[in-house]
Amino acid sequence: MTPQLLFLIGLFIVVVVLTLTRKAWAPAMGHALPSVWRIAKITVAEARRRRVLQAVVVLVVLILVSMTFFAYLSPKEQSRMLINNGLAAITAFGILLSIFVGAFLVPHELESRTVYAILAKPVRRFEFVLGKYLGALIVLAVIIAVMTAVLIGVLMLQDKLVSDLPDSAFDPNIRGVVFASAMSYCAVAVLTALIVLISTISSTTMTIISAFIIWAVGSMQNTINDLASQAEIPATRLLLKMIYVIVPKLQNFDYRNDVANYLPISYLGGLDAIVQGIGYTIVVLILASIFFNDRQV
Amino acid sequence: MITDDIVLRIEGLTKVYRSLFTPVGVKAVDNLDLSVRRGETYSVVGPNGSGKTTTLKTILGLIFPTAGSTTVFGRSINDLSVRERIGFLPEDAYLYEVFSGEELLDFYAGLFGYSKQRRRELVEELLTLVGMQANRKVPFRECSKGMRQRLALAQALVNDPELLILDEPTSGLDPAGRHQMTRLILEMKRRGKTILLCSHFLAEVEEVCDRVGIMYQGRLIAEGSLRELAGEPTEIVITTTGLQPAAAEQLAARDAVLGVDDGVVRMGHEYGDELWSVLEAIHRGGGHVVEVTRPRPTLQDVFVRAIRGEVPAAAEQASEVIE
Repeated sequence: MTPQLLFLIGLFIVVVVLTLTRKAWAPAMGHALPSVWRIAKITVAEARRRRVLQAVVVLVVLILVSMTFFAYLSPKEQSRMLINNGLAAITAFGILLSIFVGAFLVPHELESRTVYAILAKPVRRFEFVLGKYLGALIVLAVIIAVMTAVLIGVLMLQDKLVSDLPDSAFDPNIRGVVFASAMSYCAVAVLTALIVLISTISSTTMTIISAFIIWAVGSMQNTINDLASQAEIPATRLLLKMIYVIVPKLQNFDYRNDVANYLPISYLGGLDAIVQGIGYTIVVLILASIFFNDRQV
Repeated sequence: MITDDIVLRIEGLTKVYRSLFTPVGVKAVDNLDLSVRRGETYSVVGPNGSGKTTTLKTILGLIFPTAGSTTVFGRSINDLSVRERIGFLPEDAYLYEVFSGEELLDFYAGLFGYSKQRRRELVEELLTLVGMQANRKVPFRECSKGMRQRLALAQALVNDPELLILDEPTSGLDPAGRHQMTRLILEMKRRGKTILLCSHFLAEVEEVCDRVGIMYQGRLIAEGSLRELAGEPTEIVITTTGLQPAAAEQLAARDAVLGVDDGVVRMGHEYGDELWSVLEAIHRGGGHVVEVTRPRPTLQDVFVRAIRGEVPAAAEQASEVIE
């Protein structure tokens, strides 16, 4: 049975259970959803006014545009280089932003004590955590969309510039770029959820350090799995296996090489990664809500 | 109007802060019993670190008690319907810095599920109430301390709360700001709101409150109306002009006179029968009587006496605390 089928069966069971028990949860959700949305909206509005985020987006746009100056490469190499470096920039800045946005999301509210006025109102703590997370997702989606749009613009412009050359083989591979960016966004979403979880139990600095470690480990999960299989000491094997299970498999979201090298894209593999990512995110957010519920603010 | 209906009840509340470095913990609130009646303005006063803010945060469910219980409107604070009836002004007005007063009030009103039209009306009403209409678009970070406090009060009022919890509402304000804030609190009182106020500005407390609880080292060491706490006047004060030094010395030698200083004659209250004789002596000594008063002790006096264990109702508890 494939993971996709398992996901569909699981989804069906969840829908049936939710439908049968709607009288129990509908009133609570009726209250929770607007609260989550309001907190998400204010998180987005606050991020929009933070100059740091605007500066980072401008920086990435400049980096992407500056890549068009590599005119000495052949058109084919140029397209490969532009796609590879452009997607790398989007992923790197997406991850960096997710770390910094995620790490400050809840701790900033605690340190600036803005959380007092909110939690004194009819807002449950899990609504607050979910609202902050949803707000961060929207912010990161907009930033990654802008960066992707600029990369596509750059690729199309370059395509136009070199199309008159005699042996032009420039291929902007727009569909692949969009897919790879979307997958990067999914990785960012999973990582942000984990960062929110860590931030509910530790300080901002510890959260940032942990997030970088998780990112590094999550990006080489296949290697860790191989090491676990080869490890001779049982304790080491157990530790590596635990890391493999607990840390999200961010590597599964990386389609940069496939797209830049014009390899066939496994959309099913992407769906598999997304399904796992959604499951992982749900569990992590439930834990974050539980931890924040018990936290003294 | 104050009724016997209890809006807030705290029973045996104890809060101990523990950490890795202080496993024994620091007792911030110690076995606190307190109740606030509907329509009453109750003030918790005490020096910094006496446990006032911890008490408020426990009432609001921001922190959790080590022991004891708190109920608001007879229910737990975790009941959302309770929080729909409460307004909270945090100390030092912690609101989002990048938003204007108008945006902030719209956001906080939205948390109560009000429609857009209702929110618009509320924002207008509240900005008018706190005198922030002209500065409605000013980002919170650019507001003066007084403006920030008034906006913070406005956000506490978005749901027209029955119980208003104010933590140091005049902290850091200049005299004009303090006057404005006191005026607003009095307006809320006039509208029949139950108010729980924490402050260490005793003058403002005296002006607005019906009952006072004095906290010291986490314990409630005295509680009652100002009249109850202050007791009966202990002195009669006669303000004079032109009193000759020799006559002042003669007056000071009387048993009834506690002291004469710069034309002000202080008599023991229990010697009230001798007032006429003292007034005649002042007259004979070339003095003119400007005013005769029987001042009650101020809250400041009560507070100092309470932490020394001299307020009768509190003496026993306070002496334990001071030891």
